[in-house]
Amino acid sequence: MQRRQTFLRHCALLGICAGMLLPFYWVLKTAVTNENIYAYPPRLLPASPHLFNFVDVWYFIPFPRYLLNSLIVSALVVGCNIGFNAMAGYALTKSFPAKRAVLLLFLSCMLIPFQATIIPAYLITSKLGLLNSYFGLALPLLSTIVCIFVFKAAFEAVPQSLVDAARIDGLGEWRIILRILLPLSKAAIATNVVLAFIWSWNAFLWPLIITRDPTMQTLPLGLARFLSYLEDTTGALYAFAVMVLVPSIFVFLMAQKEFIRGLTSGATKG
Amino acid sequence: MARAKTDDFAARGSGWWQRRRTRELALVACFLLPSLTIFFLYRVLPLGWNVLLSLQYWSPLKPARWAGLDHYEEMLIYDEVFWQALKNTLIFIGASPFAIALALGIALLVNGNLKGAAVYRSIVFLSYPLMTVAVGIIWRWMYDERGGIINFALRESGIIAKPIPFLQSFEWALPSVIVAEVWQVLGFYMIIILTGLQSIPPHLYEAASIDGAPRWAQFMRITLPMLKPSLFLCVVIGILNSFTSFDLVYIMTNGGPGHATELLITYIYKSGFGQTKFDYAAALTIMQFILLLLLTLLANFIAGGNAGSLEHR
Amino acid sequence: MPRWTKNRWVIVPLTIAVMVLAWNGYVALNAGGDVEGRVVDAAGRPVPDATVILLERHFVMHNERQRTHTDSSGNFRFGGNDNHSLQLEAQAAGLGRSERRVVRLWFRAQNVRLSEPLQFAGRLP
Repeated sequence: MQRRQTFLRHCALLGICAGMLLPFYWVLKTAVTNENIYAYPPRLLPASPHLFNFVDVWYFIPFPRYLLNSLIVSALVVGCNIGFNAMAGYALTKSFPAKRAVLLLFLSCMLIPFQATIIPAYLITSKLGLLNSYFGLALPLLSTIVCIFVFKAAFEAVPQSLVDAARIDGLGEWRIILRILLPLSKAAIATNVVLAFIWSWNAFLWPLIITRDPTMQTLPLGLARFLSYLEDTTGALYAFAVMVLVPSIFVFLMAQKEFIRGLTSGATKG
Repeated sequence: MARAKTDDFAARGSGWWQRRRTRELALVACFLLPSLTIFFLYRVLPLGWNVLLSLQYWSPLKPARWAGLDHYEEMLIYDEVFWQALKNTLIFIGASPFAIALALGIALLVNGNLKGAAVYRSIVFLSYPLMTVAVGIIWRWMYDERGGIINFALRESGIIAKPIPFLQSFEWALPSVIVAEVWQVLGFYMIIILTGLQSIPPHLYEAASIDGAPRWAQFMRITLPMLKPSLFLCVVIGILNSFTSFDLVYIMTNGGPGHATELLITYIYKSGFGQTKFDYAAALTIMQFILLLLLTLLANFIAGGNAGSLEHR
Repeated sequence: MPRWTKNRWVIVPLTIAVMVLAWNGYVALNAGGDVEGRVVDAAGRPVPDATVILLERHFVMHNERQRTHTDSSGNFRFGGNDNHSLQLEAQAAGLGRSERRVVRLWFRAQNVRLSEPLQFAGRLP
């Protein structure tokens, strides 16, 4: 009875996984096939598969330019995120007069989704003169509240005796942070890196509003822009989509645990 | 040197303590400054500015004039597209309970010591961290009339005779986009529910089994109530998703055909950056924000208040 | 070996960096822009003094870029190719035009030698 149940569970899960993986397979098959992709009936397996669509996308788009833009913006976002969020998280572990107000401010900012701010955000960024620049692309994402609380929890988990001993030994605040707190919060840093990277890599609406030059566009914009150009019968568009998905999947596989922990820490924080 | 420090400790004169406390407060202020600046610039200030903009006639080249509630009047009484977008957004949100139920089923299947559970979880969650633009392109291709597998499967199995133009038909466009969105967010729901499931103390189930309660009753009386915080969070995420699914709609249908898949967020984008009616778009944004708050409060109320959390956690 | 080097956050980026460097090295060594091949007739005999045309892909069209002639053993060679998607065609008096061979490269100006010779449909007298 138990074995039959387990068998049924596996069957159901396999069916669900097949359904979840089907879109990936279909796009991958379209990207490597060597036939007219609009011919009906579509073949289930790629016909004489070749990888030259990827070469075409690399040179014709040009993929390296968009990749570089996305990488620079993501690097800016990740770097600043770690810095700002760690600082704010550390500050929140201390007690100071306006602490409750600041906490309330942070929590209420979580309720304001980015989409509720796009028009003034555009106006503010244009007043700052940062339209169409890497810094302007990165600016709204430079600090996230979820990550601040992740750092706060990680810093508070460090035993107070350690910090007190360091203080008595005469270490200054900065030394305490750099030498004691940060090395013990590696998980929080990893979570922050992964979350910040994924959010900045996938951002579409903000770059769409901010960029004017085609040369400043990031990968999602490049993909959307070439939607109409690349819709020929060779599946080059889907090769582009596959190339765009590879970094996300790769980062996900490397950092699954951190990513999931970051997402659910916001859930269990309350 | 140590002796001098001990003297300082012993003295604890107001001078030393005050200086140290001031330094600490200055440090806290410095550390909070960058994050607070970002949030002020890009969350608080825009919200306030939106309210202000929605009450003015403003265009980038002309000075502002007071408009009062004119924009809201135009939106609520004369603008059909707004009501269509609102309806579409609500349908989008209405689909999330089904997605959450499906995720609950998957989480229950995957929970416990099943061999390969981690692999199943990874596969289901794989779709979440992907670029939504790419997901839109993938699903656009899946729905294609000639090259798409959905039409192919339906025709081969005899359910339909001619291909259905999913993304170009008035009835099928919005459900198609909703299916794509559910595919992407299912893993996230599953992860949240799994975290909730794993925090249910097993002794509750043991006690219920000893008392002879059937599995179904255990599920209804133990699992579901203790999952309320997780389910509430899923509902909030579902509401937020309907407001943030700009990428999917932009790529798959761009609001079409007609305005059949127009969401509030796409309409805001089109008004603000397509027609450059910044003031009207600001009013739309405020309406969307109010709707978001109302729905969240409603979900909170249905979940029994306090974000559904239980007394003993 | 210190423990931090066994961390996946170190190994994986390092491996990727090494692979990228190795690939770029390979590309640098093999990007001479040479395209070589042979031209034969239907019977497999080399066709001397045939005109070979190199076409370059430009969006959906192919534009002629270079022309050369085969030598006495039917070999031809182009230099200075800087594209990655080419077509080759041969023409000879009395044999008309040969097949149009599509040549897709892995990177621009890759040195390539045709594995199969360009073949005419007819035979030399």
